[in-house]
Amino acid sequence: MSTLIARRFLGLVAIALLSSFVVFLIPFITPGDPVRKLLRARMDVGPADAAAVQAYAQQFGLDAPLWRQFLSWVTRFLTGDMGISYTSLTPVFDQVMPATAITLTLAGGAMVVAVLISLALGLVCAVSTGRWPDRVITSFTHALVSIPEYAIAPLLVVIFALKLALLPSAGWAGPASWVLPIVVLALRPISFFTVAVRSGMLDALAKEHIVAARARGLGERRTVLTHVIPHGLLPLWTMMGVWFAGLLGGSVIVEVIFAIPGMGRLVYEAVLNADIPVAQGGVVVVVVLAVVVTTLVDLGHVAFDPTVRSRIRHA
Amino acid sequence: MRFARPFALAAVALSVTLTTGCGAATAPTGAPNANNDGRIVVANFRAPVSNWALETDDAYILSIAGCLETMTRYDQTQQKVVPMLSESWEQTAAKQWDFKLRAGVKFQDGTPMDAKAVAGSLNHVLGATAPARAFNSKFIDAVKEIDATTVRVTTVNEDPLLPYRVASVNTGILSPASYTDKGIDPFGHCTGPFEPVSEKPSQSLTVDRNSEYWGGKVALAGGEIRFIAEGATRATQVQTGEADISMSIPAASLDALDTDKSLSLEKTDSPRTATLYMNNSRAPFNNVELRRAAQLSLDLNAISSSVYEGAAAPATGPFAPSEPWANKELAVPQQDLEKARKLVAESGYKAGKPLEVIAIVERAEFADVAAIIQANFAEAGLEVSVVTKEYGAVEPDLLAGNYDMVLSQRNRMIDIANPIGFLQADYTCEGSYNLSHYCNVSYDKLVQQAGSETDEKLRNELYRKAGDILTEDAANVWVVNEQAIDGVRNEVQGYVQDPLTRYILTATLSKSS
Repeated sequence: MSTLIARRFLGLVAIALLSSFVVFLIPFITPGDPVRKLLRARMDVGPADAAAVQAYAQQFGLDAPLWRQFLSWVTRFLTGDMGISYTSLTPVFDQVMPATAITLTLAGGAMVVAVLISLALGLVCAVSTGRWPDRVITSFTHALVSIPEYAIAPLLVVIFALKLALLPSAGWAGPASWVLPIVVLALRPISFFTVAVRSGMLDALAKEHIVAARARGLGERRTVLTHVIPHGLLPLWTMMGVWFAGLLGGSVIVEVIFAIPGMGRLVYEAVLNADIPVAQGGVVVVVVLAVVVTTLVDLGHVAFDPTVRSRIRHA
Repeated sequence: MRFARPFALAAVALSVTLTTGCGAATAPTGAPNANNDGRIVVANFRAPVSNWALETDDAYILSIAGCLETMTRYDQTQQKVVPMLSESWEQTAAKQWDFKLRAGVKFQDGTPMDAKAVAGSLNHVLGATAPARAFNSKFIDAVKEIDATTVRVTTVNEDPLLPYRVASVNTGILSPASYTDKGIDPFGHCTGPFEPVSEKPSQSLTVDRNSEYWGGKVALAGGEIRFIAEGATRATQVQTGEADISMSIPAASLDALDTDKSLSLEKTDSPRTATLYMNNSRAPFNNVELRRAAQLSLDLNAISSSVYEGAAAPATGPFAPSEPWANKELAVPQQDLEKARKLVAESGYKAGKPLEVIAIVERAEFADVAAIIQANFAEAGLEVSVVTKEYGAVEPDLLAGNYDMVLSQRNRMIDIANPIGFLQADYTCEGSYNLSHYCNVSYDKLVQQAGSETDEKLRNELYRKAGDILTEDAANVWVVNEQAIDGVRNEVQGYVQDPLTRYILTATLSKSS
């Protein structure tokens, strides 16, 4: 267990450094001058004055060689200083942390909804294999996969905000405003999770120990609750970790449509505006969270799955 | 195998979902009827990104929120500069202006707005690393207090447009206490009818009525400016009633809002013209005949009605017809393919490698406009290819003259409420933003003359003549004049649309129950 955690920690450092370097390079390798992009983010007018460009570059050390700029950022970051935003001139930490909290709520909420619904749907599918509930749910979940978020989000807004006036159409001002974005983000995981739960349950139902439990006279409900569901949850657990990590930085579209100041939007806009410190700080936080989540998932696997525990013991 | 109650567990799981993920779905915070007691919600397209630095676009947000005020104000209705924080001004020498401050004005923190505070505010903007385009050391030499109520501004050259410069939101006046080590703190430090009381970063700014407002009673109790970048979301907000005013409604949402009886669409000419810039400095568009052929080959009416769906009017020239310096006699150039083909032939243009039109990706509709341009040009005998590029990526090539055509747009009055900056930067031989690399000495003389003309009527006449030269020389093809379209709910009263998006929450704006 401790070896696994140590290995993950080393991996975390390497991935964080690599991804922050890639983000750092984006404004420099894409066409256009990063300093002009910065100034355009602050003032949406024609070309920036050459003197202003030079002064701004000097103020932030953007005229220094790339390797020195990156090294300077790493040195500061290691002492806990995420730097100053080039556009707002405020500490990056003050922008990244609120966005992280919002994204964790958004992604966490989506995961909770997706897990509960897919658990229910997957279970129904498994116990009614080949019959109409299975067919209807399977078709429904397949349809969900093919509907992109930018299409389903406006549709739900029209129904629940415009026509029914039940929910706000946008913003991040309390639980009511969380519902639509969380549901939109949950839809695709629901479809994947349901398939995973269904196959996990079917796999469990065919296991010898289940057959034996039934033969010993264990009731159907108890069999499902104590043997089938725990077994069927394992593939769901794995997928949940991957999806959650993905949503931490990948919910940009939903955040833009619903005007949510989350991490995806923060990093996306920072990259567009060449606000390198914000982009780097955001990416490192996302990477750290993603690695922590996937490590927790792996540890959960060890805890829940006796076969994995056994493999580790014998390794 | 069969399960006795296949939906039993599903129901349990779903009920858990409803009590956790969705359980708190009670009355939405921004739902209809939540906005009462004379408070107004504005859905704005712009969010503050620069920690309220006044030399940046953040100043616009403080201005529309009714917090930030300037020495003078450009009145759209009268089309002239009128007093605001200064009650009068006078050009006391060729390069010197004295502004007499309005008596009795206090900042929201209770301190008096005196000449020292005003000079301090203006000098702060002047000293910014990347200063405001309207008010910087290229134009302004010094700002100082003469006495408690007089501020003197010395200009680098004779500048009859200085009263316009100090109407720019970037020259807003804040209390000395707002200038802190951590940046600008506008909370409680403005002079306007509304005082900012709270901010949700990247989401909204809430303001309350300033009961001590120098301009008299403030009708509304307060308001909220929401920062919503997505146009469709802004449109939905005004439809649902979550917002009372939504700015910059996109063309795709116009139909839905137009049929909604609970609101109206306010439209006015914006100072933005979508323009097909042609590189006048190299072949083939260094030939005026070919540029005229390009103009005649385009069906501007079709572009306006199909791509913009009524959100923009076909352009008659470099200015919108409603602007005081526009030539009112100019009509929309009509497509004349026969004449265009003739001009193409006369220009000596030989078809070879297709000419390239760059469509700027920041404006999604430009790709569609470029496609129509491509088809129109083909009918006139001009073969064209279309590429889409990010503006920042292509700007160096544009400024260096390494392109054929680019479809872009420009705000003529973002610096000051006057086209002088646009006419100088975009079309004079040495203009800093002369993308078309147009050069005409007669034009330059006219613009120079306009820049020093003190009589506003005569100055506008010079602008008109300069615009006529550009039209005659077919410097570019001005495609459509974009319209500023705001959605306003019927309960809102006294809303005056500002095409420059500087003023929304004013002392007279109100809301019926």
